[in-house]
Amino acid sequence: MTASTTAGAAALIREALEAYADDPQASAALQGYAQRLAEPLRIAVAGMVKAGKSTLLNAILGEEIAPTDTGECTRILTWYRHGHTPRITLHPFAGEPRNLPLKRVDGRLVFVLDGIRAEEVERLDVEWPSPALRAMTLIDTPGIASLSRDVSARSVRFLAPEDSPSEADAVIYLMRHLHASDLRFLESFRDTGAGRSGTVNAVAVLSRADEVGAGRIDSLLSAATIAERYSRDPGLRKLALGVVPVAGLLAQSARTLRQPDFQALQSLAAMDRTARERLMLSADRFRRSTEPEGLTEEARASLLERYGLFGIRLAAVLIRNGFGEPTPLAHELARRSGLDSLLEVVNRQFQARAEALKARTALVAVADLLESRPRQGTEHLAASLERLQASAHEFRELRLLAALRTTGAALPPNLAAAAEQLLGGGGPDPCTRLGLVAGSGLEEVAAEARRRLVQWRAVAESPLTARAAVEACRVVIRSCEGILADCSGRDRQRQPA
Amino acid sequence: MADSGPVRQQGPTTAGQLARLLEQGVQLVGSGERADLRRRLDQALGRLQDPSIRVIVVGEFKQGKSKLINALVNAPVCPVDDDIATSVPTIVRYGETPSATVLVPAVKDPGASGDDGSGDGADGTIERRPVQLADLPALVSEQGNPGNGRKLAAAEVCLPRRILTGGLAIIDSPGVGGMNSTHALTTLTALPAADAMLLVSDASQEYTEPELRFLRQAMRITPNVAAVLSKTDLYPDWRRVEELDRGYLDQVAPEIPLFPLSADLRLEASRLQDSELNSESGFPALVAHLRNDIVGKAERIQRRSVSQDLLSVTDNLRLALQSELDALENPGGTPQMLAALEQAKTEADHLRKRSARWQLTLSDGINDLISDMEYDLRDRLRRIQKEAETAIDQGDPGPVWPQFTQWLEECVAAAVSDTFVWTSERSQWLAAQVAGHFAADEVSLPVLQVSDSGDALDPVDRMPELDPGRVNPIQKVLIGMRGSYGGVLMFGLLTGIFGMALINPLSVGAGLLLGRKAYREDRETRLKRRQGEAKALVRRQLDDVIFQVGKQLKDRLRLVQRTIRDHFTEIADEYHRSLSDSVAAAQKAANSFTQEREGRIRDIRTQLAKVDALHRAAEAVSAEAIAAGTRASAGVG
Repeated sequence: MTASTTAGAAALIREALEAYADDPQASAALQGYAQRLAEPLRIAVAGMVKAGKSTLLNAILGEEIAPTDTGECTRILTWYRHGHTPRITLHPFAGEPRNLPLKRVDGRLVFVLDGIRAEEVERLDVEWPSPALRAMTLIDTPGIASLSRDVSARSVRFLAPEDSPSEADAVIYLMRHLHASDLRFLESFRDTGAGRSGTVNAVAVLSRADEVGAGRIDSLLSAATIAERYSRDPGLRKLALGVVPVAGLLAQSARTLRQPDFQALQSLAAMDRTARERLMLSADRFRRSTEPEGLTEEARASLLERYGLFGIRLAAVLIRNGFGEPTPLAHELARRSGLDSLLEVVNRQFQARAEALKARTALVAVADLLESRPRQGTEHLAASLERLQASAHEFRELRLLAALRTTGAALPPNLAAAAEQLLGGGGPDPCTRLGLVAGSGLEEVAAEARRRLVQWRAVAESPLTARAAVEACRVVIRSCEGILADCSGRDRQRQPA
Repeated sequence: MADSGPVRQQGPTTAGQLARLLEQGVQLVGSGERADLRRRLDQALGRLQDPSIRVIVVGEFKQGKSKLINALVNAPVCPVDDDIATSVPTIVRYGETPSATVLVPAVKDPGASGDDGSGDGADGTIERRPVQLADLPALVSEQGNPGNGRKLAAAEVCLPRRILTGGLAIIDSPGVGGMNSTHALTTLTALPAADAMLLVSDASQEYTEPELRFLRQAMRITPNVAAVLSKTDLYPDWRRVEELDRGYLDQVAPEIPLFPLSADLRLEASRLQDSELNSESGFPALVAHLRNDIVGKAERIQRRSVSQDLLSVTDNLRLALQSELDALENPGGTPQMLAALEQAKTEADHLRKRSARWQLTLSDGINDLISDMEYDLRDRLRRIQKEAETAIDQGDPGPVWPQFTQWLEECVAAAVSDTFVWTSERSQWLAAQVAGHFAADEVSLPVLQVSDSGDALDPVDRMPELDPGRVNPIQKVLIGMRGSYGGVLMFGLLTGIFGMALINPLSVGAGLLLGRKAYREDRETRLKRRQGEAKALVRRQLDDVIFQVGKQLKDRLRLVQRTIRDHFTEIADEYHRSLSDSVAAAQKAANSFTQEREGRIRDIRTQLAKVDALHRAAEAVSAEAIAAGTRASAGVG
């Protein structure tokens, strides 16, 4: 099914290329989309200024390469994609792309623009041999609601252009507390190309979660409660697939925990509790203090910079509670930072649907082209576009899912919740859809799917069900059938083996 | 409230000394029969005894505003939470014993409850309900009182703290910039009543665009601003942020001070009684600023106005005494002196007449101001109306009506408060103009209050509901049937000519087609009708706003006119009365006997000595206030 959708989208683009062969601009755009189908999913990291976008990006990459700073830092759109050798390419608005020298300070990249002003640069393209980039292309964007308006405007234009589908297939949206600007941005992203096909494809992240509770040791719990409240907020619910709290700084540093850091943390953990708490009253105090001995001021400053007060407090507590080795400590810190759950949500919501999301972008592009440059002989193109849009079950699922989250589908609330899960609102793998424990046996999955199928058929056939709801039921039934077909397919594969 | 306690230990001349000076003046005046002068001194005494300097703490949500206040007074008076906290403004001021009150607008009819309280409280009465201090957090936070569902106007906490003496009241405001953008408006409308503003932003990042936009807006209303960089304990790089923020502040206005603070350190310091930690928290600088610059400045203005009052009262008293004395001591010169006095009296009389130049300036100015204000209000609202109509034309207003009304109400409230602020600025300017024409060398200006638009919109009714435009299936069928009926009949009869039944495939087909067409047309007309209705509603609402707000503004401007006129007439009256008293005294002196003369001269001499002593004291206070002003602006840490 998925394969056929992607193939269908690719075929559609080929058809469109033929029809628009004499229009160089259109063909260039179409070729771009054809290439996009073959590339990994493009995920943009967006948010208000200083939400911690570059930090989170580093955490996802597991390597500190994106530059971060206390002041506003990212001013140019930067693409991070997979490449065998590190390379940076600068794409100016006017003129040829050119290579930038690879300069790193403390591991972080420094973009030497060589006299070109940031406003003249369309984007930077960083190729990096990072395994995390094999599956997705990450795009670091300048913050919105920045004081330099043109920087913000550039981000919004890139993510939510007015006249073409967005360059990004999905968005990880970072926010600190839900600000009015956040909602406005998410709304405008939904209203553009990607949104017109009627789907939600953003995940919201409550970033800098460690600062929510002023760096107290229970900050992350507090942040989790807030994230939970936001995820139930009706305004945000229709714009984002979920809200995950992440302590970006901790996540970034935990994945790159060094031996000297560990030793410093160990010596801190060995201190008396009250003395340690007094030491960590404020960042200034920590830096100035002479306890514990053997920690230079540079080491303290670097600890603060890399972990924050919260990270140091948490690490000290963890070391005392038995995480006495660097590797388990790093894993535990990463787990607590919320990065793992974010990666899981990204995997579940984006990666598992990558093909559908990419195909959808291509379809929207072709639809736009047909609308903006209508010409003779494209009737067949319009027909196949419509056929694809109507027949691909993934699209129908995505559309219904969006409808359920926004306007509702005339279903009573309990059924609507069940439908959302079955359609893959929590993630498209069969076990999540059916509400079973991950890794349940084939028979169990099949039995549950059959049970749901019968249940939904009953709903669909009930004369009391409204017409709009019947449509929704059909899509849900089709999803159940899909799971069943998948089960029997795998069953058959297993038997010969 | 009024128990803001005796004010001591600030400034060289204490408020107590000032009050004693005023009482001396009252005694001097009281011996004569000058009730007009006495009233003036009583008013000054009243102002001195109940000073109120309101400092409002503003900023985006979750920046640590409530914690800042808690750390400032070292008591958990404002609720602090990791999630959204404050929903009701809380006023913290001085009181001998700790106590808390909530202010609830009195509702006329408890059955009828508006959605956001804009409908009620129209009669303007506010009920004060004492509550336990411990219960307060539940009442003013989003947790216990989400979206201010209990409709509290404000909460008030009195605490016996040294920093609050001198009449300082600190107001905690709900954060702006959250999902509920009406908070920003509440804060903006509360600003005109404040004397100073503290803008709080945390050290995690430099200022964002919405923050500076808010600052620029707020500065038009309350120019006395200090910025606070909170939570410096948590962020190792706060110095960088401070530097960046200072740069931005300099672009907005050059003289805004910026205080990096850590409320956590201050609370910890007072728990451990650690003065080093306290100075590390950065609070001493803020406290000094509040004391010297904000309270100090207000006190200096206070002292100056008191000394002005005293100076003018002693001048008036002196005039009568001096002329009598002159007449007694030098009977020969009395006729010339009398002539000079009569001349001055005529001039003073002229000042009281309607035809006086300042009177003309005032009435012309107010008339101009009223017409300008009306034009300004209409112009702003017309722009909103145009925008609203374009929005209505673009789509079906039915389903989005609640959001639309909210947007409209916000726009209208913003426009109205803009007009109010603008009117206030203009009337201040007018008062200065009138004072110029009044020509007295140092005339104090009357206190004008026009800019508070808080309750201006209260008498305006809420936007009425609009039919959301949903049609239930039965109605749909009926509409369709109405159209198809004609079609079936028409084609049925027509085909009847060819011997077909009335209901035949052709006529049914035509019926279906026509029914569909009728349904579509009906939908179109319904949409058109809804759009028309929505536009009419918007127009009616804005008319109502222009009518009500225009009336209120006119009333306030008339009040301004009356205040200015009364103020200056009173001064003219005092002057005139003093002159006629002097004339009478001089005449009496010329006619008195020699032996009485000696005693009278002695009496007057002692009286004059007292008056002169008071005059000198008042002059000293005035000079001191001016000197302190220049010293403070030169920058005392």
